[in-house]
Amino acid sequence: MFDSIKSTIEGLAGQKYIASEDIATTVYLSLKMEKPILVEGPAGVGKTELGKSIAGALSLDLIRLQCYEGLDESKALYEWEYAKQLLYTQILKDKLSAIMKNEKTLAKAVDRLSKEDDVFFSNKFLLPRPVLKAISGENRALLLIDEIDKSDSEFEAFLLEVLSDFQVSIPEIGTIRAGKKPCVFLTSNNAREMSDALKRRCLHLYIDYPTRELEERIVALKVPECGGKLRSDVVEAVHKIRELQLKKEPSISETLDWARALVILGIQELTHDVAVETLNLILKYEKDIEQAKDNSRSIFVH
Amino acid sequence: MAETAALESKLYDFIDVLRDATIAISADEVLSLFTALPHIQILEKNAFKQTLKTCLIKDYTDIPIFDKCFDDFFSFKNDAQAEVVGAFRELSSREIIQDTGMPHDQVTALEKSLADFLDSLPGNLIFEKSPEELVSIFLEEMANSDSSGGMGMMLFNFRGRNPAGRQKGGFGDERMREQYGRIANAVEGMMRGRLSRNTTGAQIREREEYLLNKPIYQITPEEIKEMRDLIRRLGQKLKNRISLRKKRVKHGGIDIKRTLRTSLQYGGVPFKIFSKDRKIERPRLVVLCDISGSVNQYSRFMLLLTYTLQSLFSKVRSFAFISKIVEITPLFMEMDPERALNSIFTDTNFTYGWGSSYGRCFEQFVSDHSDSLTSKTTVLILGDGRNNYQDPGLRAFITIKERSRNLFWLNPDRRHLWSWADSIADLYAQYCDKMKEVNNFLDLSEFIDKLFIDL
Repeated sequence: MFDSIKSTIEGLAGQKYIASEDIATTVYLSLKMEKPILVEGPAGVGKTELGKSIAGALSLDLIRLQCYEGLDESKALYEWEYAKQLLYTQILKDKLSAIMKNEKTLAKAVDRLSKEDDVFFSNKFLLPRPVLKAISGENRALLLIDEIDKSDSEFEAFLLEVLSDFQVSIPEIGTIRAGKKPCVFLTSNNAREMSDALKRRCLHLYIDYPTRELEERIVALKVPECGGKLRSDVVEAVHKIRELQLKKEPSISETLDWARALVILGIQELTHDVAVETLNLILKYEKDIEQAKDNSRSIFVH
Repeated sequence: MAETAALESKLYDFIDVLRDATIAISADEVLSLFTALPHIQILEKNAFKQTLKTCLIKDYTDIPIFDKCFDDFFSFKNDAQAEVVGAFRELSSREIIQDTGMPHDQVTALEKSLADFLDSLPGNLIFEKSPEELVSIFLEEMANSDSSGGMGMMLFNFRGRNPAGRQKGGFGDERMREQYGRIANAVEGMMRGRLSRNTTGAQIREREEYLLNKPIYQITPEEIKEMRDLIRRLGQKLKNRISLRKKRVKHGGIDIKRTLRTSLQYGGVPFKIFSKDRKIERPRLVVLCDISGSVNQYSRFMLLLTYTLQSLFSKVRSFAFISKIVEITPLFMEMDPERALNSIFTDTNFTYGWGSSYGRCFEQFVSDHSDSLTSKTTVLILGDGRNNYQDPGLRAFITIKERSRNLFWLNPDRRHLWSWADSIADLYAQYCDKMKEVNNFLDLSEFIDKLFIDL
């Protein structure tokens, strides 16, 4: 467990994740307060990566749940295996009648049977899915619920019990409480607004594009073979491009791709011509590229 | 102990500021803030700020407002370290009073009566009077009421005499006089603190309300720029509200295929019954926007709005017209609003100078673009209906109405100007589902909000 904001930054840096002070503060608080975090921000700023890094730094089991439209509790929480239950009942028919043989009256037979019915409603027929796994696991887990905005609002409502009380109610068995409270980490791309109820239960973290200094450190860490001069040129250019009004702004992952590609091409200095030729690595729309080219004189100074 | 209480009251003040600036903060969030605070160093400004943000702000569109409020509320002479210290100015006022040996409950009572006093004042008075004047009024009121146990009277007397430098009266004792002097100063400090909290949030809100309520005709280009973020924020909120509203209807009858397929797992016994989901469809929107000279001011704004609508909802087709109609959907898809707007106004396809011809444009729309009309389409026309005495093209207009689900017309002209001079708004209005006077952004967003409920 992290014991200060500073050690949170260091711990995450150990996982090759460079966290700003804001990010570290929220992460640290959520661990201390045992509250879930809801992370929002543009695509590609490392939201999912942050979840993975926390799990790595604290050596928690990472359980990932990718959300999509139509995701329901049988895929997220648990599934009751009726088929297996039926099959068992069929196979054990003889065994059952053997047990019941000695009972004289119907009432006694029912009593006898009800003593055994725990067998038919037990964890054996329960197929745990990510959420239940995170709660019932032996080790403390980090439950990463990715892109929660893609799920339906019903699913969101059903998550509420898990988020606030770390427990799950299963009609066939009862309530399962978490032995070790998992860290819950939700990410969202703002495709849809989360309900107030969900937001209330979470700490909120908005990750924006990093500052230049931070992004340079990220490039240095992830693409170490990229030289200092090239690095600062690349980051500077990306930051200027983000200021143009584009359809899709280049995110951190695109910066890293660009840096890597330039290294592979054996380029040491980001000249104007090289930059214009490789723009398609960071911009994904024809119109965006055109616009960047129009402004290329002010973006690429060399 | 007293320190925590003062800190708490300071934070509650800040929360009130945020609420004044229309950020929704529930009790849960306040609670989580107070659970979080013991874990951090309050004097570390960044950590403190992020803690407030992470606990209180749950809507990322509110973050800029939060930043502004925080900077206004907790800033002190622009010095990073002094900022947080300054944040507790009020705390020191309180301490000064306590140092004089005033009982704890009396200090609290004093603070409360100060707050009540400010709440009871009519709004404009707070902005007109200086803090010193307000303190005088406050003390006068205190002196006249008995609840303060005579203290109000003493303070009042003291203040009344001291500036004049009179030594005589009830304050023979030097120490006593000094003490009351300090109390009076502290009360003034408290007053200043209260005043700044009453105005910070309100100022932001007032500016926004001013912009939203300003008649579109009078909005300057600079203000349009300022409003762009505001419009985007409101648009986003509108979209969020609508997406929450878009609930599935579960009573769509049994989905035989799916039920049978799943029942195979259980040997043909239909354990689980699936019903057909019936989604409430989002409306398809067709926007026709008049961009002629008569609505010059208005059209830039309208196009900006059309742009916002199109970027928020997937099924929007936008057209602009003067004397000819041109589809601008692809233009908006590819460019940022500023460039798109400029290229529209330099486009010669619209044939500038002819003045708008609604009739010809409707006819052209029906013959060229009627594929965009279905029984699910809502048509939104933005324009003033000034047809330059040309053929109104009613036949085409009625065709549009018949082929679409709804036809709404938003008219920037005041109601009494409809059908004045060359406007034939009333003629068209007969065939619309509704023609509405829309002068400012607030009306507009209300209209759009309702539009999506009804559909």
